[in-house]
Amino acid sequence: MKKPALLIIFLISTIIVLSLVRTYISNNVATSGVVLGQIQKETESLKLENSVLAEKVYDLSSLTNLAQKAYDQGYTEGKSSFAIGTTIPVAIKQ
Amino acid sequence: MTWRYKIVFISIVFFFFLIILRLFYWQVIKASELSDMAQAQYGTAIKILPQRGDIETSDGFPIATSKITYLVFANPQEIKDKANSVDLLSRYLDIDVASISADLSLDKFWVPLEHGLSVENKQKIESLDLPGIGFSQEYERHYPEASMAAQLLGFLGKDEQGNDKGYFGLEGYYDRLLKGKEGAAIQVHDAFGRPILAKMNSNQSEADGQTLVLNINRAFQFLVEKKLKDGVEKYGAQSGMVGIMDPKTGGILAMASYPKFDQRHYQDYSSDLYVNPFISDLYEPGSTFKPIVMSAALDKNLVTPQTKCNICSGPVSVSGYEIHTWNDKYFPGINMIETIQHSDNTGMVFVAQKMGVDQMITALNEFGIGSNTGIDLQGEVSAPLKPKSDWYAVDLATTGFGQGISVTPIEILDAIGAIANEGKRMEPHVVNAVENSEGKLVKIPPKVTDSPISPQTAKVMTEIMVNAVNKGEASFARLKGYRIAGKTGTASIPIAGHYDPNQTIASFVGFAPADNPKFVMLVILDRPTASIYGAETAAPIFFDIAKTLLEYYQIAPTSGE
Repeated sequence: MKKPALLIIFLISTIIVLSLVRTYISNNVATSGVVLGQIQKETESLKLENSVLAEKVYDLSSLTNLAQKAYDQGYTEGKSSFAIGTTIPVAIKQ
Repeated sequence: MTWRYKIVFISIVFFFFLIILRLFYWQVIKASELSDMAQAQYGTAIKILPQRGDIETSDGFPIATSKITYLVFANPQEIKDKANSVDLLSRYLDIDVASISADLSLDKFWVPLEHGLSVENKQKIESLDLPGIGFSQEYERHYPEASMAAQLLGFLGKDEQGNDKGYFGLEGYYDRLLKGKEGAAIQVHDAFGRPILAKMNSNQSEADGQTLVLNINRAFQFLVEKKLKDGVEKYGAQSGMVGIMDPKTGGILAMASYPKFDQRHYQDYSSDLYVNPFISDLYEPGSTFKPIVMSAALDKNLVTPQTKCNICSGPVSVSGYEIHTWNDKYFPGINMIETIQHSDNTGMVFVAQKMGVDQMITALNEFGIGSNTGIDLQGEVSAPLKPKSDWYAVDLATTGFGQGISVTPIEILDAIGAIANEGKRMEPHVVNAVENSEGKLVKIPPKVTDSPISPQTAKVMTEIMVNAVNKGEASFARLKGYRIAGKTGTASIPIAGHYDPNQTIASFVGFAPADNPKFVMLVILDRPTASIYGAETAAPIFFDIAKTLLEYYQIAPTSGE
């Protein structure tokens, strides 16, 4: 008779402890909605900022834009090119 | 049991039965409806829009990307001061007062006012704090390089349901990969409307579109578009196009056509411009076809480079038709090297007749003529070769010099690419790799589609084409110090059953450096007016572009000649 009584007490204690833990966690989690809301808002804001900046970077670094800026500043296309041959210079040979 | 007890007992049983009946009604019959009502009270359904994948050039620069924009909408039931709202919205959205006023007068709870609102404009309107006005985030296609590679990219339009859909080019071909998968979720919130942690139920997983990493070299594409535009204007052509491919992998390095359209305002342009002519326009290739026929004949040992033409002393008569050379000059007994050098039509008739219809059809099939190349772009077409029974003697003769046969420019580029790649024909590919939203890159391996000629024949044909560049009609434009293999083309255009001698398609196809080709390029001008010849119009454009490409690859000239 003693053993079943102990088992019942153990089970009831476990239920009580788990209930308390659950109450404690729920209590803590319930208030984190505000923080979650702020985090979500900040994430959205950063994503938006990132997107806007990326768009500006792409526009400014596009070849179309760079070519136009180079033209506006007076740069022209190089018509002649210079290539160094593969023959070893006389000075190095000696 | 007395009758009083019986009445009480029956009453209790009856009331219990009624309660059980009511509970069954609410918990079983109405369960789903109540669940939805409850969910509507504590949660908000959120539509998660996938971001369409980017299209990047080989240097990782996005030439098509997505930017955040907003849909501004109104709930007319919540708007108190309608006149003020109409006035302000009309001013900030740049929509006429009548339209806004009509929208805000509708007896609805949700009315869309304007799509594609920029972030700055959204913030401006938001700061007005107008009641009943809301915003919904959207994505809009953004092209940082403006209209670069317009026909190659295609554009993003709408389908019948109003959803984004890619049309033409890469946007059309890879639409399913690019668009991703739309998701839905329930955001659970408390009595104050604040979101509750761990209660975000996503009932459909959302996935952003995948990014395409192209073989296209942005610098080449930019350069080619500029040179092509200048060339079309300089030579007074109706249009023009250029394609550049890596012959060893089939990777398309640049593909441009002019005139082109602006993808952002595609509705303002003729739908004819949406089509990429390099894969969708059929034309008679003329003399750029000669290296294909010649290499096939060499490969089948029907001729050797030194074989002398015994019908080249004058115009050749075939089935009542007289075939002339392009300048009516004839070289009796010329060999095959000189046939290509002088672009001699009679010499090519000699070669075609040596081949016969059977071998000609086999060779053309092996070079991919008459079938789609398999390029990963929407809209590729091809004109199948005629069945053997429909080939007449004159068809065989004219096919030898590229008339009477219709091909797309990509077919010619791919076939000449086989000569540059030791006889192996590659499947042309614009996309090099696909990157998923987690950053995992899947490369598309090069694919050999056929081996129409042996490496030895390819080498011999390359030398014949180098000779044609150095000593042929376009030799004035060649790059000194570089071994470039190439061939001019001046094809007559069939109009109302005959060829117009003054309207031609001028072209030049070639590859460089001849001994270890980095690129194969085809330049086509449609109806140039400054000169009708490919040697005087397309060839200078080819060499102008080739010069810059060789400098880009840091290939120095090998000799002064």
